[in-house]
Amino acid sequence: MLLSGADRNRRLLTAAAGILLAAVMGLVLIVGFRLATQIRASVGTLQQASELEAYPSAISEQLTALRQRLDTLEYTGHVHGELDSSVRGFNRDFTVLEHQKGLDPAAMHAATALWGNYTPVLAKVLSYHGEPYSDTATNSSLSRSGRVYYAHVRRAELFAQANAAALHGELALVSASLQARTAAAASRLRWLLSGGVLAVLLLGLAAAYLQVARGRGERAARDAQDQTRDILATVREGLFLLDADYRIGAVWSQALTSMFGRSDFAGLTFEELLRDKVPPETLNTAMKFIKLLWGERAHENLMKSINPLGQLEVSMDNGRGGKETRYLQFDFHRVMGPKGVKHVLCAVGDITSSVLLARELHEAQENAHSQLDMMVGMLHSDPLQLGSFLDSASAGLKHVNAILKEPARTHAEFSKKLAGLARELHSMKGEASALNLMSIAQRVHHLEDMLAELKGRSELTGNDFLPLVLKLDELLAHLRGVREMTLKLSSLREQPDSPEGTISAPALRSATAGPEELTATLQSLARKLAQDHGKDFTLALTGLAQCPPAYLGTLKDCLIQMLRNAAVHGIEADEVRRAGAKNGGGQVRVEFRRVESGYELTFEDDGAGLSPEALKEAAVRKNLLSEEQAAQLDNRAALALIFKPGFSTRNEVSMDAGRGAGMDVVARAVYGLGGRIGVSTNPGRYTRFKIALPAVDETAVA
Amino acid sequence: MLREEELKTFVDGTTRYFEVAAQQPASIGSPYLLEGEPAMHDYTGMINVSGKREGVVYFTAPRAMLTVLLMKMQESDFSHESMRDLVGEVANTISGNARRDFGHDFVISVPSVFAGEKPQINRPTGARAFVIPIHWRSHSAKLVVSLT
Repeated sequence: MLLSGADRNRRLLTAAAGILLAAVMGLVLIVGFRLATQIRASVGTLQQASELEAYPSAISEQLTALRQRLDTLEYTGHVHGELDSSVRGFNRDFTVLEHQKGLDPAAMHAATALWGNYTPVLAKVLSYHGEPYSDTATNSSLSRSGRVYYAHVRRAELFAQANAAALHGELALVSASLQARTAAAASRLRWLLSGGVLAVLLLGLAAAYLQVARGRGERAARDAQDQTRDILATVREGLFLLDADYRIGAVWSQALTSMFGRSDFAGLTFEELLRDKVPPETLNTAMKFIKLLWGERAHENLMKSINPLGQLEVSMDNGRGGKETRYLQFDFHRVMGPKGVKHVLCAVGDITSSVLLARELHEAQENAHSQLDMMVGMLHSDPLQLGSFLDSASAGLKHVNAILKEPARTHAEFSKKLAGLARELHSMKGEASALNLMSIAQRVHHLEDMLAELKGRSELTGNDFLPLVLKLDELLAHLRGVREMTLKLSSLREQPDSPEGTISAPALRSATAGPEELTATLQSLARKLAQDHGKDFTLALTGLAQCPPAYLGTLKDCLIQMLRNAAVHGIEADEVRRAGAKNGGGQVRVEFRRVESGYELTFEDDGAGLSPEALKEAAVRKNLLSEEQAAQLDNRAALALIFKPGFSTRNEVSMDAGRGAGMDVVARAVYGLGGRIGVSTNPGRYTRFKIALPAVDETAVA
Repeated sequence: MLREEELKTFVDGTTRYFEVAAQQPASIGSPYLLEGEPAMHDYTGMINVSGKREGVVYFTAPRAMLTVLLMKMQESDFSHESMRDLVGEVANTISGNARRDFGHDFVISVPSVFAGEKPQINRPTGARAFVIPIHWRSHSAKLVVSLT
């Protein structure tokens, strides 16, 4: 709890009043005790002095009684003993009195002198121990020593009668001085006690005032605490303070409980808070960031911009024994003290719903864009080509599903599927790109990415194929959407006012693309590739009309792939061509002709050609060959590397190249038709593919 | 579109049953999309799902697999009823897993069990069915998930 300046002063004053009160009380008690001790001693002395006052007259009376007994010849022993006792008592008490302080010195001196006169007179009386009488048969009389004794008694009686009053008077003066002294001490004690009581009262009042003021302050602090508690219980953000050890303070907002499913936050470290909720690398980054916040020179706004916890995905218990993914946003503010950063205030917000909403929005936008792209692609495509592509894509995906359906239990069996899947998808992507159906091409590209990722794994199981089959389902749904839209567009074209020469929907469904459509597709693809890759080249196609329908589909797949390869790997950039003394843009030439044994397709580009050394290096880089194996290859064998599955000279993957599935697909397709493929090159001048296909029985095909 | 974590929940529910009941985990084979009529084995346990998703999820297994499973579970009753109960239990575990992970988003029916007869499967229109082969020892069953 924070104390205001007024609260602090009040506390200090209360403490000072308490200390002062204790000091005054202590002083009063000490002085009072001393005074009381002094009074008690004075009273004792006074009592002694008062008792001494009685002695002179008592001694005088005892001497008179002793003399009278001697006169009447009575027994004197008893009175003599009393006298002796009185004298001894006076001596004892007087000696004690003499040692007391604060007595009236003149009176004391006079009393001492008087008693000094008494002493020899009385000593003569008291020193007598004989028998004062002598007895005969008829009478008794004073004996000789008795007469001496009588004389001493008589003299002492007279002395005592003469001085008793004076001695009494001096002793009374001593008593009076003692009494005055006692009274003065009592008076001082009274004043002291009165002063003490007054001081206590005053200090008590001050303390009471301060206490009331403090009570008021505490009430205000309690109210403030209640308000803080209410805020912390109500606020939707998780709030807490982190100390220099990255531990959470004792005060935190209730929202944290539902966010983290626990309530033991006080003393918990930030690391412990997130440990089971995020992956270790995320936690590591988060801790590094938190440490940076404590740096004196860290700029808070700059730190905000690099906050790695702006949208943190965490895995939480869902309260039913399962897990759920939530998104939390952590915001940090430094609390500065006189000695630098005192705490870091952490505000956590659960932004799951907004993240999901944003994601849905993004997906919707993506879908809208993708639909728009698709529409644009479809509007620019020939309906016949489109229909043909959709048919072949559906067939291709059926084949993909058939590959997936083949039973597999071991890594080898799962791994074997990957190559087949990659070939099917790569052809499909090429065709989609050629028709400018980028939404389809991108989806297939994503599937290829997934396959490439799986290919790198050391252990494959059915679980790894689950995302793949979901993506396949998505692609199929997308194709279905494209087909439905195509039909809608076709039905629009069937309207009476539609332009002449458009194709009807039934025609779309049944038509198969011919050589003209293939030519248009390839020219369109060439333009797109030139634009996408910043290359300048033209495509010259001859003889495609001679291609038998049975070969058209395969030929299309092969030409699309080879055209992409030529655009990416073959044709050089303008500046390279100029440097190589090549005039104008590049040329890609495709010639299809009948030959004696069947058909021959020539595909040639006047680009960079193939470098056997570069091909060998790429094969080693892709782990298709060891360095020793590569060194042993001659140029012909090195050129044949381009037909190996997974071979590519590019390190990075793009929409058009880098998968290493291109020429592999072409070669397989050609072999599938019973044909052969060969490649020749002149580095820096050209690359030429020749494909020989067997003759077909066209009557049977028809 | 069905999400991967949703599909995984049903798959995990199935493999978990084998792990708990027979102390021997099942593995999953290569998943694929169902084309045409579903191939059913001898016994099928099915749950209907509604709410956030609509459709069916069913586990179908051959008698031989269920017999070995019962043996592993120290059961001595290999009757028709025991087989029916067993596929019902698997469907129930799948259902429990889904309830745990999705809570009230999914409304899941009590499992229904079919044996021999061709089951009445109301697959939702527009939803493709995912077939996930379940391999256990030398036997194979199928988990079919068809949800919109």
